Amino acid sequence: MIRFMMRKAPSVVFVLFASSIVAFALPRLAPGDVAVSLAGTDPTPANVAAIRGELGLDRSPVVQYWDWISGLFHGDLGQSYRLHRSVASLIGDRLESTVELAVFATLLVIVAGTVLGVLAGSTRRRWTRVTFDLGNSFLVATPAFLTALALILIFGVYHRWLPVSGEVSVLENPAIGIQYLTLPAVALALSPSGIVARLLQTEMTRVRNEDYVDLALAKGASAKRITLRHVLRNSFGTAVVSIGLEIGTLLAGAVIIESIFNRNGLGQLAVSSVQSRDFTVLQVLILGVVFVAVICQIVTEMVLATLDPRIRLGDQS
Amino acid sequence: MTDVPLSAPGATAAKARRRLNPTLARYLSAFRTPRGVVGLSILGVLVLAALLAPVLFPGGYDQQGPNALTGPSAQHIFGVDEFGRDIFIRSVYGLRVDLSLILTAVPLSMALGTLIGLSGAISEWLGAGLQRVLDVIIGFPGLILGVCLVAILGPGWLPLFLTILLGGLPTAGRQARSAWLTQQGREYVLAARVLGVPRRQLLVRHVLPNAMDAIVVNGAVWMVIGVYIEAGLSIVGLGVQPPTPSIGVLLNNGLRFVTQAPTYIIGPGVVLLLLSVGFSLLSDALNEAVNRR
Repeated sequence: MIRFMMRKAPSVVFVLFASSIVAFALPRLAPGDVAVSLAGTDPTPANVAAIRGELGLDRSPVVQYWDWISGLFHGDLGQSYRLHRSVASLIGDRLESTVELAVFATLLVIVAGTVLGVLAGSTRRRWTRVTFDLGNSFLVATPAFLTALALILIFGVYHRWLPVSGEVSVLENPAIGIQYLTLPAVALALSPSGIVARLLQTEMTRVRNEDYVDLALAKGASAKRITLRHVLRNSFGTAVVSIGLEIGTLLAGAVIIESIFNRNGLGQLAVSSVQSRDFTVLQVLILGVVFVAVICQIVTEMVLATLDPRIRLGDQS
Repeated sequence: MTDVPLSAPGATAAKARRRLNPTLARYLSAFRTPRGVVGLSILGVLVLAALLAPVLFPGGYDQQGPNALTGPSAQHIFGVDEFGRDIFIRSVYGLRVDLSLILTAVPLSMALGTLIGLSGAISEWLGAGLQRVLDVIIGFPGLILGVCLVAILGPGWLPLFLTILLGGLPTAGRQARSAWLTQQGREYVLAARVLGVPRRQLLVRHVLPNAMDAIVVNGAVWMVIGVYIEAGLSIVGLGVQPPTPSIGVLLNNGLRFVTQAPTYIIGPGVVLLLLSVGFSLLSDALNEAVNRR
């Protein structure tokens, strides 16, 4: 496993380095001088120079980049100059909301995707299959925000069963918190679970034609045992990969979903920091998204490697 | 339009095929399949409405009426918004923004992606290097790329355009590059090089046709995603700025009044669905036409 990780390390480091450069470059690419805009309505040259010195903008970009990155490694995420608070505390305040949403949605993707995929992959009746395929295409094709709009109209406005705006912490008040969490998480999870289900179904159909399934049948294994033990177990690989990849999409989708349901999470923080041009906050958030996506990818590959020794040992042939 | 059996194309189709470039004729044959016809009709109506908007509704999208936030009626089939403006008229004008984005950014993205993918022909080092740049773009999921661009440029048409343009580059680039990598070692390509066929002709005649189908289908798929990118960024408030309407902006505004006037978001929502269904059907039809041989 360690050798496997070592082989993956260079590309991971490259992607993280490149995205840190992009994040670092953002405010420097934007038109206008950050120091001037921070100096207020009537900036004097001395004022601007003072702010520039305080932000370290008068030094070379390489030194600034080094300061920023080494700060990140020491846990110093910087200061928001609009809100006059540390970026770490801003993120800390909103982390729980986004983590709750992401975790709940991911669980839904895993459960719904697996169940739908196994059901669709086990049936051989034509009409059941057609129904599953149609429903699945619908799930896959509908983006999270459209699902969200439909859910709001049906369950929030027409039936008034669930709240559509705001949030309550699940940790503090689980009963109410789950109600606030349900619609956003379902909206976020439906399309990825369709993708996972479809992959699982295709893979199960393929595996079912393998010789060892025929052998198990000849041995007299029950249909249930064949599905669970011989087919499903050998089909999980692709589903695991797609779940890992979907988490990145899920995080990006959370930005829209938080905005639609008025949840005060990291996505909302990102949007408001774009609107107020609060770059120190935005840089950390962007790097954070890429970091989490990369971590998910690595974990996915580790799970795969555990499942399949051919990947772990590398294809030397 | 009459249904021409696919196995035996009619006389007009045969005549067209004689004159047209066969690749182009194959793509055009997509528009004779049922999906292609339906998709093209939906998009045709939407494009026509968008183009004719100033003629059909010379009052513009900003005309205010006496009522506010009323539901659909015979006079205003989508209802009116918070300023008493007709939501149907605003949706039609909104289409102009969406279609102008997608119909310019996507073709440009596919063309540019193809060039980047083929750049390996100039120097292997350049091709591989540009591929790494595309890898970084993939690392930023669609919306995050948009957020970065809006942060740099400020909200408006241009960052949306660039998000759709840049986001489409990696796939087209990979498809073109893989065609170059697989074909460059083939005997006939080597033979053509030995014979002194210029590099440009080599790429256009021998390499590009291998990637063209995948890139065209991918372009149609990316048009659907383009619709979603515009809507997604506008819903969070990072799209075109009011009073200019786009489909996403209308959804954003409608969401604010969803409890008072739930019908507000339905009209723009339907237009968005029509757009995405139209482009999806088109990409399905192209995919079918390309794989039918």
